[in-house]
Amino acid sequence: MSGETPPRDPVERVIELRLPSKLGYERVAMDTASSLARRMGFQPDRVESLKTAVSEAVTNAIEHGNEHDAAMKVVVLLTARAGELIVDVADQGRKPFDHNQTIRRPVIEEVLEQDDKGGWGIWLIRELMDEVEFSTAPSGGNQIRMVIHLEQ
Amino acid sequence: MNTPACSPASLELSLPSELGYEVIARDAVAAFACRLGIPAERIEDLKTVLCEACINAMEHGNSLDPGLRVQIFCRIEAERLVVEVLDQGVSRYTAAPTPLSIGEKVAGQGSARGMGLLLISQLCDEAGFVTRSGPGNCFRFAFHRQPGHCSSGDR
Repeated sequence: MSGETPPRDPVERVIELRLPSKLGYERVAMDTASSLARRMGFQPDRVESLKTAVSEAVTNAIEHGNEHDAAMKVVVLLTARAGELIVDVADQGRKPFDHNQTIRRPVIEEVLEQDDKGGWGIWLIRELMDEVEFSTAPSGGNQIRMVIHLEQ
Repeated sequence: MNTPACSPASLELSLPSELGYEVIARDAVAAFACRLGIPAERIEDLKTVLCEACINAMEHGNSLDPGLRVQIFCRIEAERLVVEVLDQGVSRYTAAPTPLSIGEKVAGQGSARGMGLLLISQLCDEAGFVTRSGPGNCFRFAFHRQPGHCSSGDR
């Protein structure tokens, strides 16, 4: 191993989207991602899964990472490769990820007893996407990477 | 002045300079405009204008080099939605001294292409290239908002 950075995929195409941290704008990310996925040839049911996952990830970034501060941005990077679409969603990290929340599987009986019926987003994303990874964004905020494979 | 009390909302988008990707930009900006309460028929005009502006940036400004980028900045102001489309300026825009009319083009007096800017001018309320300090061309267009069109999302 030389330790050098691997060469970029020559057919990689990147679309970058910067949104205000305001609920409702996740719709813009959903529509952008679905437009790219359709162009790449994803089946309609996979496009719907992608839209749901993107919506959950951007909503988390707005609500938790950026704590609803509309002046903060959510950055969505869509990377189209030959056999997959990678979606990175990054916030500005006012509130860091709770690692336990990223691996917890909600128990429906417990959730039904709580006033707040939320907390399903990350579980849902893991169910819908082929790969999910949590990390720190280059900007220092929270980042989630979701990968969806193109089935031939 | 009696204008809606809307706070600024903005969207930034960067995409490869490759024909076909203008459709992704179209869908992103349409979703943004929809969120802002722009009427549906105006959003259709916006989509056409945006595609034309992006294709111009890709074909002319960036000379169809897929390694270059097209950037789109959208912002909402009290009375209008403003969109700027920027290329990296491989080729600088120069206005034709006397642009041909559609009638003249149809009559074969010039290329049938090159009607994008004419179409844009018919569909939006303001349009034109603006000067900027850095390299590249910046094409700006705007759609005026009707009074009261300020959805809860952009207050």
